[in-house]
Amino acid sequence: MKRVFSIFLVLSLFLAPLAFAEDAAAKFPEREIRIIVPYDAGGASDMTSRIIATGLEAALKGTVLVENRSGGSGSVGMTYARESAADGHTICYIPVELVMQKILGISDLVPEDFAFIGRLTEVPAALTVKSDDDRFNSVDDFIKYAQANPGKVTVGNSGTGSIWHIAATRLEEETQTQFNHIPYDGAAPAVTSLMGGHIDAVTVNPGEVLAGVEAGKLKVLALMTEERDTVSFADIPTLKESGIDVVIGGWGAMGVPKDTPQAVVDKLSAALEQAASTEEFKKFIAERGMIVHYMDAASATEFIDEQAVFFNDMLSNMDLD
Amino acid sequence: MVEAFSSLYEGILIAITPENILYCFIGCMVGMLVGVLPGIGPSEATALLIPLSYGLDSVTAIIMLCGIYYGGMYGGTITSVLINTPGEAASVITCLDGYPLAMQGRAGVALKVAAVGSFVGGISSTFGLALLGPAVADFALSFGPSELFALLVFGMSTVIGLMGKSLIRGLIAVCIGLSLALVGMDPISGTIRYGFGIRELVSGLDVVTLSMGLFGLSEILVGMENLSVAGKATAINSSKLLPEEVRPTVMSIIRGSFLGFFMGLIPGTSSAVPALISYSMEKNLSKHPEKFGTGVPEGVAGPETANNSYVGGAMIPLFTLGIPCSPTIAILMGAFMMHGMTPGPTLFITNPDVIWGTIASMFVGNIILLILNLPLAGMWAKLADVPSKLLYPVVLIVAMMGAYTVDNSVFGIVVMLISGVIGYALKKLDIPLAPTILVFVLADMMEQNLLQSLKINSGIGGLFKSTTALVLLIASVVVITFSLIAELKNKKSALLTHDE
Repeated sequence: MKRVFSIFLVLSLFLAPLAFAEDAAAKFPEREIRIIVPYDAGGASDMTSRIIATGLEAALKGTVLVENRSGGSGSVGMTYARESAADGHTICYIPVELVMQKILGISDLVPEDFAFIGRLTEVPAALTVKSDDDRFNSVDDFIKYAQANPGKVTVGNSGTGSIWHIAATRLEEETQTQFNHIPYDGAAPAVTSLMGGHIDAVTVNPGEVLAGVEAGKLKVLALMTEERDTVSFADIPTLKESGIDVVIGGWGAMGVPKDTPQAVVDKLSAALEQAASTEEFKKFIAERGMIVHYMDAASATEFIDEQAVFFNDMLSNMDLD
Repeated sequence: MVEAFSSLYEGILIAITPENILYCFIGCMVGMLVGVLPGIGPSEATALLIPLSYGLDSVTAIIMLCGIYYGGMYGGTITSVLINTPGEAASVITCLDGYPLAMQGRAGVALKVAAVGSFVGGISSTFGLALLGPAVADFALSFGPSELFALLVFGMSTVIGLMGKSLIRGLIAVCIGLSLALVGMDPISGTIRYGFGIRELVSGLDVVTLSMGLFGLSEILVGMENLSVAGKATAINSSKLLPEEVRPTVMSIIRGSFLGFFMGLIPGTSSAVPALISYSMEKNLSKHPEKFGTGVPEGVAGPETANNSYVGGAMIPLFTLGIPCSPTIAILMGAFMMHGMTPGPTLFITNPDVIWGTIASMFVGNIILLILNLPLAGMWAKLADVPSKLLYPVVLIVAMMGAYTVDNSVFGIVVMLISGVIGYALKKLDIPLAPTILVFVLADMMEQNLLQSLKINSGIGGLFKSTTALVLLIASVVVITFSLIAELKNKKSALLTHDE
């Protein structure tokens, strides 16, 4: 009897945490949830997170706040989130920059630090030039000109080592060209410089050049996606259509610290899916020139691991000037 | 132009509906409050209020959010004048003559002059926005890295005029400012300079926490040395301008409005630049330049006007080209997008009511702010009477909270405390603080633009190919030469009088 009792006691000790975990999930959220955005307010990641926050509030029936912690190419915010309590109350907006942190020597962040609850958006790179630039009426024109003038074509990006810089470098590799990369502090100043004719092109996301295109000052030559985006850019060809196999861009996902209980992660994933399917969200993303491409937790984790390998390989062989 | 007037009229009709006036008022109040509190800036407040704006009609939402922006410019003056703690870079200039005025018991003068100047700046630049908008937008685009660098060099050259009596000490201040600006990531290569392995230093030091420490905290530390002495001298407590001060003040306001408006057009500048150039302009044009720094009203009026008219100018690239010139404008742009509109020239065609309603509401907002600030100036000024023993702890706590909110991190407080100690040391050594922080602000932008220009043009040629850049560079040389001559003349006469 005593033995049975003690075995029972020991077993229950093992099972108790499970009960708590279930409890935690059932009671979750117990207080306000914070989404940490590793960039300044007003940018694409910030705005995306804010819309998702309202969606999550509806799905989880709780308060969701957005907190900006910018700096270090996203490392400040992401490291803060990584070190937060793994109880699901701190979510982090994870941009593609996560997989580049270690190889670029910015921080020791790796995808394994997080449990992903889903991927929200794809942010393709768009090769954009001035609309009245007669030298470039198509991608072919652009590449031919660049090949004939190595080192002369100035291409702006949002910072050395940024995804847009890497996109331009990939294009160089694939087409045997050499651009002159000009780094700016963010995509907006690069686009402004392009509009003023101070540089020849940019390879940032479509959302940043939308206003310029509508104003008739800029034209997008191609998107660096797998296939045409029929939602917002139906008449923009992809690089692949011109025979250039370059598919590259950023993405935005959400994650929590890796030791968060699975039940909580599941609850958050379901809520995220709900938030990402609202008409409001889809409309907003489309208007900002991004692509809604929701991936659930499992697919997102697989995708991000693949991205880590992809970028690590590419960056270790790449000579970023 | 005529249709601009009729569109403006439509806009005014929209702006004066009770609902829009109410939300304009709310925005202005929040903006002012946020401006008064050091650390939280208009950008954070705007971002915080965007969710609240969802339920509102688009025009109303934008009106409210714009109100926060220019309201913040009004509020920043108060802490600069009363406790020498600038809430943001632009307010640093206001401290230079604003605080001395407060010490003389004339805080009311400083605040009133700033309120009127801000009003004139706001109204005139809104007119400029409404009537000139699209025409001047292209002027904005002509400023690329080379031109911007030259403009910043010009701004830097005017800092010489702020160095005070000792050129050597001024140059030391500049060097310190440059060293502080070095911290962070190199713009081209991405290498981290002086990071010491601290993550928060990767993007460099923040101007708000630095200036709060260098100015505000150091002031407290110095004040604590003679706490027993009565806090502030308040023999006179008047809010009236002396007759001989009226004309220079009025002129400084007029000049400041033009300056701020045109600077606002140029993408990549911050509101600190027009404030700085206005101050230097007033000092150089003044009949008594040596009095600057001791409490000269036009030294407050000019910069305050300039930073408010900067707002109106900065809206032009946003509305006409969809380009945000500063972080707060970027958030405003995000707000537009959240309500389904893309700022840019097409917005004039698709949603003219939003554009003109917003522009018209800027008139309303500035009027509201003037009404709020002018009478309240006397009330705020009384704050200067509070004995230091009570004031200092409160200021310290508010400053620490502010430093935290800048990036939601304790590191901000650490930076503020350390720069406070540095500021105290500099004060003891008589090294001027203003050049330090201004150089810090300018150096970052200067380095970026110079490197970009060099890379684009494969050399320094770009600076000389552009007429604008060349003109600005020559102007800088002229300014530096004249300032140096003036300094040497002063030294000579000082030496002569000493010999006697």
